[in-house]
Amino acid sequence: MAVVEAPTFEPEVAPDVRGPTAPLPATIFALGIAALMVIALGVVVTQVNYALSDRVLTQNCIAEEISPEDNGAIGVCNIIEALEDPLTTGSLYLGMGLGVLALVLGASTYRRMDSKRRRDHAITGAVLGSQAVLLAIVILWFRSATPGLFAKHFLNFADLQGYGGAFVRGAKNTLILAFAGEMGGIVIGLVLGILVLSQRRAVRAPARTYINFFRGTPLIWQLVTGYFLLLFGFGIRLSAFSVAIIVFALNTGAYAAEVFRAGIQSIERGQIEAARSLGMSYFQAMRYAIVPQAVRRVIPPLMNEFVILIKDTALVVVLGLTANEYDIFTTAREGQSATFNATFFTVAAIAYLIVTLPLIRLVNAAEKRLRSGLVGIAGAGG
Amino acid sequence: MTGPVGAARPIGAGEPIVRLDDVHKWFGNLHVLKGVDLAMVQRDVVVVVGPSGGGKSTLLRCVSLLEVPTSGRVFFEDRNITDIRTNLNEVRTHIGIVFQAYNLFPHMTTLRNVTLALEKVLGLSDDEAHDRAMEQLARVGMGHKASVYPGQLSGGQQQRVAIARALAMEPKVMLFDEVTSALDPELVGEVLEVMTRLAVEGMTMMVVTHEMGFAREVGTRMLFLDEGRIAEEGEPKEMFYHPQSDRLRQFLAKVL
Repeated sequence: MAVVEAPTFEPEVAPDVRGPTAPLPATIFALGIAALMVIALGVVVTQVNYALSDRVLTQNCIAEEISPEDNGAIGVCNIIEALEDPLTTGSLYLGMGLGVLALVLGASTYRRMDSKRRRDHAITGAVLGSQAVLLAIVILWFRSATPGLFAKHFLNFADLQGYGGAFVRGAKNTLILAFAGEMGGIVIGLVLGILVLSQRRAVRAPARTYINFFRGTPLIWQLVTGYFLLLFGFGIRLSAFSVAIIVFALNTGAYAAEVFRAGIQSIERGQIEAARSLGMSYFQAMRYAIVPQAVRRVIPPLMNEFVILIKDTALVVVLGLTANEYDIFTTAREGQSATFNATFFTVAAIAYLIVTLPLIRLVNAAEKRLRSGLVGIAGAGG
Repeated sequence: MTGPVGAARPIGAGEPIVRLDDVHKWFGNLHVLKGVDLAMVQRDVVVVVGPSGGGKSTLLRCVSLLEVPTSGRVFFEDRNITDIRTNLNEVRTHIGIVFQAYNLFPHMTTLRNVTLALEKVLGLSDDEAHDRAMEQLARVGMGHKASVYPGQLSGGQQQRVAIARALAMEPKVMLFDEVTSALDPELVGEVLEVMTRLAVEGMTMMVVTHEMGFAREVGTRMLFLDEGRIAEEGEPKEMFYHPQSDRLRQFLAKVL
């Protein structure tokens, strides 16, 4: 019978070749997830529970050298007590047990699994299980030493009240330092990158010396020496903040130069030949044909340099910044020296992460885009 | 000038546009060109054939000093362009080159690829450059792809844009360096057709190629380059049907 079927417009989907799962691998997979969940939930729920309820300073805490006079003593005590709570202990051992089970079952059976999905489930279950075991061991180890002392100094957030504005200003200053330094560094780096590619040694040598010097000496030395060199050596009195930006730019310039050099060298030889054969001078060829392409390729590594510089700006702590110039790290150092509470540094780390994590994601996305070959064709705008 | 050089047999008339005088090229210790003499006159279509590694591309690149000869002289019109005082940028505006790998600028549209040098080198205004570029793109059948990026074009289309880019400079000589070697077989024809048309219109051309049909039908003169020397030269059909040297006979036996 010739039945004319109505045309269907379902989009074509690649066939699923991983096959179905089975009870055993699915169980292993579930065990692995459960092991991690039990540990994470047990620890977190207990901590939250203690933090939200009214507690007192226990003997146990006093034994750990937490005194009632300490600001935030109760909060710190809660952390320790929650850590020692039977619920935490129980979930740690239960999670470890589930993890070992997943690991043993998965590792012993994955070779016999007869479909891709079954094998994936067995292996993933074993991996998650081993992660759970490791996590539990680390927490138990931490608990067995003197977590009270650590918590008292690094997890006591009571002293941080009123410092929110200071940290926001610190983050702003950190970003100003890093951004201004990066921009200056890119300009210096592009010029140096072209100079080190010169055919002439007389042109190359000074650029190479500059790069090697700034790559080869500690940034902290450059900051301190730069400040006094400007002041005593050249009679230039600049604020420590301005000096820091200059030094960051000079330093980043050396690294950016290598990035640009590699970027320019990565452009096919045929590009400059095509430009030169059309009568362009070397510099016209660089400007219109080579550098615009190189710039696209060096965006991810330059952004990477930027992330590194954001963290390196913490070194300005050695310079005498005025209070409104404090970056994140100096803000934390000031808070710590006023209260003898190192939790300021914990908060500083969080502040750095808030700034850097989105950038790190952006770098990865840009690299992925570059690898996929999209750059240089669409959206070029040239 | 020192009389006619080599066994050049000008098909056209008048003074040579391009003349090579005992050109040698060394790459390190590799002696690639071993004394090449050559004269091209107007409307010459010199096809250069020979085994790979024989120095064909090097010879072509020496004509526009993309490779600087180790010794010997290259003349463009009356000027010795191997003289270090020569303004090569100016000379190169008269010598168009098309490369095997197209070498279009991937970050620019087709149109921009063509207008760039017109504006930056010849100093044409935006409008003049645009008009001239569109004219040349139409000439190679690529007018409808003016706003497209090279990455979105087929190899044959890219190569035709590259030809338009070179032609837009209104060169006196065009050099083609194995321009169909990187193309899928079904795309070769469209590029050869453009080149054939150019030859018929009277463009002076040097063509390094493996396309023996093109060499035989379009070339006015053929050079057989082997181991850095012009082993045989003459009228293409004559050379195909009556090769004089054993080396050319062997070569033709392999490629035909």
